[in-house]
Amino acid sequence: MIELIDLTKKFKQNFAVKNLNMFIEKGEIVGLLGPNGAGKSTAISMLSSLVEPTSGDVQFENKSILKNPSSFRKIVGMVPQEIALYEDLTAEENLQFFGRIYQLRGKKLSKKVDEVLEQIGLTDRRKDIVKKFSGGMKRRLNIGVAMLHDPEMLIMDEPTVGIDPQSRNYILDTVKRLNAERQMTVLYTSHYMEEVEFLCDRIYIMDKGNLIAAGTKEEIKQIISSEKTVSIKAEILKHDFIQALEENPLINRVTVGEKEVTILVPKDANVFSEVIKLAETNGMELTSVDNKTPTLEDVFLHLTGRALRD
Amino acid sequence: MIGILIAKFKNFIRNPWTFLIFTGMSLLMAFIFGGTNAQEVYIPISTVDKQIKDSYIGEQLEKEEGINFSWMSEEQLREKIETGKAELGVVLDNNTYQIIVGIDSHNTGLVEQIISRIYYEKQEQEKILTIVGQDETVIEELNHALEQPVFEIESATFRGEGAFIYDNSLHRIFGFSLFFVIYTIAYNVLPILIEKRGGIWDRLILSPVKKSEMYIANLLFSFLTGYFQVLVIFFFFRFVIGVNFYGRFVETILLLIPYVFAIVALAILVTALVKKVQQFNAVLPILAISMAMIGGAYWPIEIVESKILLLLAKINPLTYGLEILKGITVYSYSLQELLLPISILVLMGVVMMGLGIHFMERRHI
Repeated sequence: MIELIDLTKKFKQNFAVKNLNMFIEKGEIVGLLGPNGAGKSTAISMLSSLVEPTSGDVQFENKSILKNPSSFRKIVGMVPQEIALYEDLTAEENLQFFGRIYQLRGKKLSKKVDEVLEQIGLTDRRKDIVKKFSGGMKRRLNIGVAMLHDPEMLIMDEPTVGIDPQSRNYILDTVKRLNAERQMTVLYTSHYMEEVEFLCDRIYIMDKGNLIAAGTKEEIKQIISSEKTVSIKAEILKHDFIQALEENPLINRVTVGEKEVTILVPKDANVFSEVIKLAETNGMELTSVDNKTPTLEDVFLHLTGRALRD
Repeated sequence: MIGILIAKFKNFIRNPWTFLIFTGMSLLMAFIFGGTNAQEVYIPISTVDKQIKDSYIGEQLEKEEGINFSWMSEEQLREKIETGKAELGVVLDNNTYQIIVGIDSHNTGLVEQIISRIYYEKQEQEKILTIVGQDETVIEELNHALEQPVFEIESATFRGEGAFIYDNSLHRIFGFSLFFVIYTIAYNVLPILIEKRGGIWDRLILSPVKKSEMYIANLLFSFLTGYFQVLVIFFFFRFVIGVNFYGRFVETILLLIPYVFAIVALAILVTALVKKVQQFNAVLPILAISMAMIGGAYWPIEIVESKILLLLAKINPLTYGLEILKGITVYSYSLQELLLPISILVLMGVVMMGLGIHFMERRHI
């Protein structure tokens, strides 16, 4: 359906996106995962024909959308990272405005507004001014606006940033429902790996403008099939203990959190006794040592040496 | 496009504070600095005989336009002149008058001319009445003839090239209106930047609405709010305060259009050049105040001697806006005589709007 071919965007001497190759098939939910500043927003701005790439092409049904974006724009709904709404208007007035922009009029417009308000769970708050809404409600309305013209594809740029878990779950369920009921294609960008893991069929991982991994969840996790992740927790992490872990030849990578150290070790290595010994030597009391099922976070850690939210 | 305009007006009704604040500021400043009757010359007047006030002389003085004759005692009159609150005063007697001059100005001659004319007319009437006696029909016909003379006489003045007329009241109204409307217009163009940063603009680009419609709707709205603000100010001074705009009120409000257009264009250029709202908020007051100072909104540009300032004034839309408004009212210029400043404003508007939209579009396809 859509293909990004060697897509590159350069700002002065810096590459925001470098030689990005992606494809999205009709009806699938594709995740674009990466930390802040990875180039996700620039990539989807180019994909949605809002930003001109420095080089490369975006093709929709084998035709370049850069030269003639109108046919693609008709089928796409954009959910920007920002709250792209008129805050002094009510939820209903916002939907009516954007509906009119998409040439909906009269009863058709009213019906569509009612339908969208129902889908995003804001029917009871339709007459309320948007600036009085909570962050989660604004995000829901932000999504609702993109659905007014029944797009075949929804491009969502970090749609859950800064909202409560309840609203986040509502949004994720809505995306799942739209995909299941209407076969809506979704491109979902996020730096929350658990969201992407929950929603997406296929995943692209970006870092510093480059695509560093792509495939299904299982395929991506296979990248670290030769390694396993061990989580070590303690109330107080001593510097000498961490240094000892880093110097240990069995351990491939050490990532330090507040009260947790994550280590990557070869799959068949038994590091439990080694870790406990090092803790005792450095006078440190551990609260737990666990083998973890690999996550996309671990893959990112493996590939870049950094956590997704660094 | 209509949809965008409707949304803009709904937003405006819900949040009219920028408009109200700058309209209020314009009214207040023009009112304070321009004075309510500053067009009139204030002349204190007293009488030896109290009946004079109700006689022909008193009636004629009341009818006089341009000079505000204020009745008071001779003692108060002298005090006003001594304290500098009045340039001069007039003490009236039945057949003579006395002009007491504090500051010798061209108003002295003007007042003397008016008073002597009224006394002359009074004497003429008295002579006629002496001849015809107390014949009421003749008196009635005489009054009728005086009110509707056979010949209508129009008088005009001429002035030398380079001389300028300063009407404080109108200058303040025009100056403050043209100055404060810069803010109103600019803050109505600013949402383009906010909407671009906030993603609304992107949503509109992806919709079937043409980009030209998006710009036209936004700029038309900014133009209308700016124009409406100046209209409110001018209507207030015309119909509430009674400033007569030299009888050319309609022409004045029509010839505002090129200035408002040029300011909309300037605002879009500034909006295109800044990257953040904070930068816009920093740049706008500097620009507006500089334009007002250089363009002659605060004081007449005719008194400025610095060649650099005069040169800068030539690239300032406010200079031409004031030139048009003063030209149509104070100088009674014809449209033809004002074609040059009108053309310059239109040209400035076209160039700045072209550049502004070009810079804004650099990021987008």
